Amino acid sequence: MSFRHLDRFAQVRSPVTRVPAAGRVFGTVVLALATATLPAGAWVQLGLLAAVSLALLAIAHVPLRVALARLAWPLGLVLLASLALLVVMPGEPLARLGPVAVTAQGADRFAMVMGRAMVALLPAVLLVSTTSFPELLQGLRELRVPVAVATALGLAYRLLYLTVDELERLQRAARSRHAGGGVTRRRHLITAIAAATLGRAFVRAERTHAAMLARGFRGTLPLLHAPVWTYRAVLNVAAVSILVLAVAASARLP
Amino acid sequence: MAHIPDGFLSMPVIAGTATASLAALATAARRSRAALGEREGPVLGAVTAFVFAAQMLNFPLGIGASAHLLGGALVAVLLGPWAGMLVLFAVLLVQALLFQDGGIAALGANTLNVAVLGVGSAGVTYRIGRAGLGETRGATVVAAGLAAWISTAIVGLAVAAELVLSGLVPLQPALLLVGGGHVLIGIAEAVLTGLLVDFVFRTRPALLARRTPAARGDRIRVVALAGAVVATVLVAVGFASSQPDVLETALARLASPVGSGLTAAPLAEYQSPVGGLWVAGAVGVLAAFLVAWGLTIAVQRRRP
Repeated sequence: MSFRHLDRFAQVRSPVTRVPAAGRVFGTVVLALATATLPAGAWVQLGLLAAVSLALLAIAHVPLRVALARLAWPLGLVLLASLALLVVMPGEPLARLGPVAVTAQGADRFAMVMGRAMVALLPAVLLVSTTSFPELLQGLRELRVPVAVATALGLAYRLLYLTVDELERLQRAARSRHAGGGVTRRRHLITAIAAATLGRAFVRAERTHAAMLARGFRGTLPLLHAPVWTYRAVLNVAAVSILVLAVAASARLP
Repeated sequence: MAHIPDGFLSMPVIAGTATASLAALATAARRSRAALGEREGPVLGAVTAFVFAAQMLNFPLGIGASAHLLGGALVAVLLGPWAGMLVLFAVLLVQALLFQDGGIAALGANTLNVAVLGVGSAGVTYRIGRAGLGETRGATVVAAGLAAWISTAIVGLAVAAELVLSGLVPLQPALLLVGGGHVLIGIAEAVLTGLLVDFVFRTRPALLARRTPAARGDRIRVVALAGAVVATVLVAVGFASSQPDVLETALARLASPVGSGLTAAPLAEYQSPVGGLWVAGAVGVLAAFLVAWGLTIAVQRRRP
């Protein structure tokens, strides 16, 4: 198991990948925040922010079909979560679906939520496509995410593959012995596998800790490569952030 | 819908929840470092990796459905609430940034709901359970299961409250669909957490023994918090109950003669003869609290 398929465009040279990871995370948060907090009815501003995200995807050489394919799953979840809006909002009925009525107010709110969610997902897709996990971790540390969380994420990233592989090995061993026939036995089997994995994760944590101490670990993981902020990178992040904030602010002008 | 996507919350709710989460995480980072020392990184890393991996396992529920572990209560039981909050925050962060599961702008709200309130309430409930029921295997499993159910319900109520405060949905549908949905999901979470804790208790009890037992001063604090939790749930139920519930609807449709023979409830429809809804709510909270307290004392007396 690996996350390598996620950051396929991290090695592609572009103005986006030349910005250090902290700048990319910052830009993503600004774009997502600006989109998510647009007031209802701000369709023009939503369109402009979508255009900014699409332009950044093009600059980073991330093909639109890749971005759309990555949007499909999270957007499906958003769709499921927001379908209820169509019928729970009181208002003028537009159509009847059995015992419930789709209201005009509900349809309006559903469209705005879906629009905001879709556009806010675009910068997240851009970030994950152009940033490797170690880079992302470095960016989070620069943005002052608690050291414990950054260290835990870094180690979890290394241990996750091992843990999942171990989980799969235990499942394969159980399958090869035809264990877990019937719901109750299967439930007990999966619980046993999960608990065994948990025990092994703790053992591995202790071994990792001992190995890290032997290498001079004093509570924080060192950075191998310090990020290089060029004037151009600073200017690019500032320009995109100011543009995005200006678009978002224009939606609140009287 | 424990992971709120972007586009659902208003700016004040995003700002408020982000501020509250930052404050809670700062405290959690300090307390976790004090508890785990320099072992903190490896232990948190291993448990974070385990939570990710465990979420991939589907447990059969036996009715053609399956569920996966959410993990908040489990980490609270294994690591304590403060370190548990950091683990769940790490999981939420990766889910939002890498898998777009939960919004980036809504990360503060999701952290507050799942990591802070979810893990925090699980930790408090577990402490209450252990303080009241004891430290036997059965008591530990029941306390862990109860912690999982209550924390999942609280996560649901918090999500519902944020959606209502954002002006997205009215109060009653939010409480019924989101809050009620989580109360049901919480049952599966309670079973899974209970089974896992039972297995850990039997095979690696040292993992659970790392937790410090509750002191007498803690009991007063956890009892006060338990009262607040019960009050919140009951008041929320009171708000959501102006429509007939499933049983009432079924009885009305069947025109059951059994229903007509039932003795009227003393506070029917959450109405008290004096003071209406609020007095009925307060009486209900007090009664529920006294019953829970009585049960706790009874179990304590039976303990050798």
